[in-house]
Amino acid sequence: MSDRIPEADLHAYVDGQLPPERAAEVLRLLEQYPESAGQAAAYAAQREALRAGFAAIAAEPLPPRLNPQAMVAQRVAERRMRWRAAAAVVLAFLAGGAGGWVLHGRLAGPPSELTLLAEEAIANHVVYAADRRRPTELGAEQREDLARWVSNRLKHTVAPPDMGPTGFHYMGGRLAATPQGPAGLFMYQDEGGKRLSVFVLPMPGMASTAEHMVNVEGMDGCAWIDKGVGYTVVAPVSPAELHTLSERVRQQFDSQT
Amino acid sequence: MTLGDGDPKLERTLSGATQPPGRDDPAPARAGTDVLPRIEACIPALRRYAVALLRSRDEADDLVHDCLARALDKLHTRREEADVRAWLFTIMHNLFISQTRRRRSRPTAEPLDDSHANGAGLRATQEDALFWRDLQRGLAMLPDEQRSVILLVSVEDLSYAETAQVLGVPIGTVMSRLARAREKLRHYTGQSGCRTLRRVK
Repeated sequence: MSDRIPEADLHAYVDGQLPPERAAEVLRLLEQYPESAGQAAAYAAQREALRAGFAAIAAEPLPPRLNPQAMVAQRVAERRMRWRAAAAVVLAFLAGGAGGWVLHGRLAGPPSELTLLAEEAIANHVVYAADRRRPTELGAEQREDLARWVSNRLKHTVAPPDMGPTGFHYMGGRLAATPQGPAGLFMYQDEGGKRLSVFVLPMPGMASTAEHMVNVEGMDGCAWIDKGVGYTVVAPVSPAELHTLSERVRQQFDSQT
Repeated sequence: MTLGDGDPKLERTLSGATQPPGRDDPAPARAGTDVLPRIEACIPALRRYAVALLRSRDEADDLVHDCLARALDKLHTRREEADVRAWLFTIMHNLFISQTRRRRSRPTAEPLDDSHANGAGLRATQEDALFWRDLQRGLAMLPDEQRSVILLVSVEDLSYAETAQVLGVPIGTVMSRLARAREKLRHYTGQSGCRTLRRVK
């Protein structure tokens, strides 16, 4: 062990970045070297004063424009406007049959109709999941009423899936509007306040697909089409978790039909 | 089944991250939606650092806003493994550097924003308040790169390695800048030669 305290260790001691054993050694050495001790004390006082002096800034309420949720919502909305303009064209292509394949070939990602579906689902998730006061139109206690209402409007029988042991509890749901007609939105929440939404949009004539991850402005949606109905699950979890959750949702819907 | 313990194989397949992360990797993985709350949690600290660096709330808020916009642009190219906080500080540092370069021509001597000495109101003694004033002046006189290091390490609690990553310099450079910054502040605030501290005047 060196008999003087290396400069770097002195700083690391002050900043609490030494392993405990070395910190104890430095502490012992400081008793032998008053000059180093004075230096360390001065640095520690600077550190404490800087922390205390600037602490208030981090405690201030943030200006509204520094809200990332709102920034994302705005970006999703802007993107959706562009997509809505393109949607009519895409759907015309798909309705024409072979056109879909032309588009498939051009886009590296998931099929364009799934992107379209996920765009709507994520845009709605961003708006309603962030709504702390009224994320749903009908709450969990009106599960049956909501199922009937949504089924009527969608002209397709659908009920909120049961998320069982995943930790997500059913909160309620609502109808959402899309350029392709009404969609159903079922909302869930876990213990930590994370919200998951299941989006259901009739897409008559569309072929069934596997689940695909679609990323819109940093938000992931897991989307698929089954027997002419499009589904998307959106939640602030990792893609792997989202995929697991989506598989459960898909099974639930399978058992409904 | 527990959530949170995603199947690692599936995770890799989905994220496309087949290589271990490294600074120069072309960032194949994409971030899940779960990154937003983590970004949100860093904003007060980003703003504190920006205010300390720029000494103006308006300019600081502009810088943080630009930083968030840039982060959202890059979300889908972000490596999931990387620490969100260090990543955001890196983005902000790069923006700060490019903006400072652009600003170089106009005078930078702005008055100290006194309102951010709010803490001073809570300070126990007048000596503390004077020390804090001296420290702020001293901080303002440091070169940008030394001020960044001392703020990231002392106030933001970044490790030396993280600080090096954020500033894009070797760790040895971080240590030498930190040492110089602290010595300058010690002289500037009259700490040198005092064994018991805070004997300001």
